Amino acid sequence: MTEQPKLSIIVPFYNEELNIRRMHAAIVTAVEPVGVPFEMVFVDDGSKDNTLALAIDIAREDPRVRVVKFRRNYGQTPAMAAGIEQAHGRILITMDGDLQNDPGDIKLFLDKIDEGYDIVVGWRFNRQDKLVSRKIPSKIANYIIGKVTGVPIKDNGCSLKAFRASLIKQIPLYSEMHRFIPAMASIAGPRIAEIKVRHHARQFGQSKYGLSRIYKVLLDLLVIKTVASFTSRPLLWFTLLALPLFTIGSIAILHSVWKWATSAAGLPLPVAGSGVILLMASITLVCSGAIGELVYKLGDMREHEFAKLTQRVRLPGSNAG
Amino acid sequence: MGLTNEQVDYSVIVPVSGRHSDATDLYYEYRAGLNALGRPYQLIFVLDGPQQEFAAGLEKLLDAGEQFTVIGLTRFFGEATALMAGFSKAVGRIIITLPAYHQIEGSEIVKLVSALDQNDVAVGRRWPRVGGVFERMRRAVFHGLLARVTHLKFNDLACGARAFKRQVLEELNLYGDQHRFLAVLADRQGFRVSEVNLKQSPKDRFSGIYRPREYTRGFLDIFTVFFLVRFTKRPLRFFGMLGITMFALGGAWTALLVVQRLFFSLSLADRPALLLSTLLIVLGLQLFALGLLGELIIFTHARHLKDYQIAEVIHFSRQPTSTPHALPEKSSVAS
Repeated sequence: MTEQPKLSIIVPFYNEELNIRRMHAAIVTAVEPVGVPFEMVFVDDGSKDNTLALAIDIAREDPRVRVVKFRRNYGQTPAMAAGIEQAHGRILITMDGDLQNDPGDIKLFLDKIDEGYDIVVGWRFNRQDKLVSRKIPSKIANYIIGKVTGVPIKDNGCSLKAFRASLIKQIPLYSEMHRFIPAMASIAGPRIAEIKVRHHARQFGQSKYGLSRIYKVLLDLLVIKTVASFTSRPLLWFTLLALPLFTIGSIAILHSVWKWATSAAGLPLPVAGSGVILLMASITLVCSGAIGELVYKLGDMREHEFAKLTQRVRLPGSNAG
Repeated sequence: MGLTNEQVDYSVIVPVSGRHSDATDLYYEYRAGLNALGRPYQLIFVLDGPQQEFAAGLEKLLDAGEQFTVIGLTRFFGEATALMAGFSKAVGRIIITLPAYHQIEGSEIVKLVSALDQNDVAVGRRWPRVGGVFERMRRAVFHGLLARVTHLKFNDLACGARAFKRQVLEELNLYGDQHRFLAVLADRQGFRVSEVNLKQSPKDRFSGIYRPREYTRGFLDIFTVFFLVRFTKRPLRFFGMLGITMFALGGAWTALLVVQRLFFSLSLADRPALLLSTLLIVLGLQLFALGLLGELIIFTHARHLKDYQIAEVIHFSRQPTSTPHALPEKSSVAS
């Protein structure tokens, strides 16, 4: 390849033989006038129809297209993650392969990134979907996700998003986390912008992805956010967990010793025993924390690298910006 | 061996780990079956620990001018490890593993390998199969449980005859007893797996009664697969649920005891129930902490964990005459 594309447009396809050519044409028409070198990453999510063959045909005609072929069907979000992994551009744009997003909006996203945002998410403000089965559940889900993650985004389900590649390629996207990439990316503290995008009703083919199993993903998200927050100081965390046990255990032991010393009844065995159990448990918890330190030390996750992804550096003598 | 790497199509690995037949019989049977493939192959025997009797048999065959490799491990490592040791010497693009005792007829190898036209992994199933009602039931229960856990239906995971593309073993790092779940693990990795009915060897007749040890092992196998499949990605889902349940139970019980002590003057000091409720709380917390540790391990290694497997990246460069770079997975695509 001669030039490094500045922009990568990532589109997952699953059984979209009716849409893939239109999609390609729409992207080319919309992005060519912008005047930046770009590439398209088409991810074939194990389609059973002709999608892959068509994608390879397109790639043969247009060298800007790269086709990522999955071993089997994994779902939309892993497809997005694979596209992100395989993209070469410095700015990555993800969008649906079913023509519901409008490639004409890509320009707006680029402008926002140039303004200094790390992530730009689309908001389908005039969403063309069924009200009860799609819109209302997603409104509720978006509200909860905002609460859980602390990243209030009105429309997590909109696939049209733009990312700074240096940031998003470092964010761990495992266990269906790609569905909430902005929320997951929030562990690095990015600047997130939200812009209104056009949304078209699906013209061809069947809708395949819904908001299923969302509670599981939310739980995972909560867990990962928690883990992310203590990942670099597990000993402290586990010690905090152990502290109540230690306190109650100590009180119980002191109480029974005092009883034993002052009353004729002797040592209250169940109380003393409970105290000992609690004390020992607090010790094993602290030891777990020590193992946690070992895990972090041997792992390849470095918190300062996250910090580096979004930091702004002002060197002496330079102007702001 | 007289063959260069390019000439070898099939690498055949026979791990000799526990039960084994006479080396000479087995060798001639397999040789006939492998010759029927009509392509050059290499044969590797891996002796897992000192298998003196079998080694002596192989020695005799080597002296007679037969062509195969023998890898001797100094101690018992387990069949999967023996398999990986053999794999490190394998050069073929297709790997075939064969059991060290007569499970299938050698002539069925061709059928097994031809299943790879459509699949990445082919595992054998001895069918039709001899065996008593009791044994059949044991197998049905085992594979039924396995199907419940993995949502995959296999009928004879104990059959050691398997064929797969080289890439499969490169990606699955097998250890311990995992060779038995090769089919399950490969499927999880996104490979296409199929089960092939193979004629059972008439010498594979087990007429004894299985000892309790066999049952324990079967149970442990399922337990292992259960963890490998369900909880290696989200440990806190399992440990957390278990832990929270115990913690809640213990907490409620302790609260009840304290209320009884404070308001109903039921003495706490001489009631061992307090010990049990405290233990439950403590156990719950510790399980939860274990789950958190698991999550921590996964989080700190998350960059290597992927939910997907890329078969290939297809890209045509600007020159219209050039051939496509079909980049295999794992090769770096960054230019």
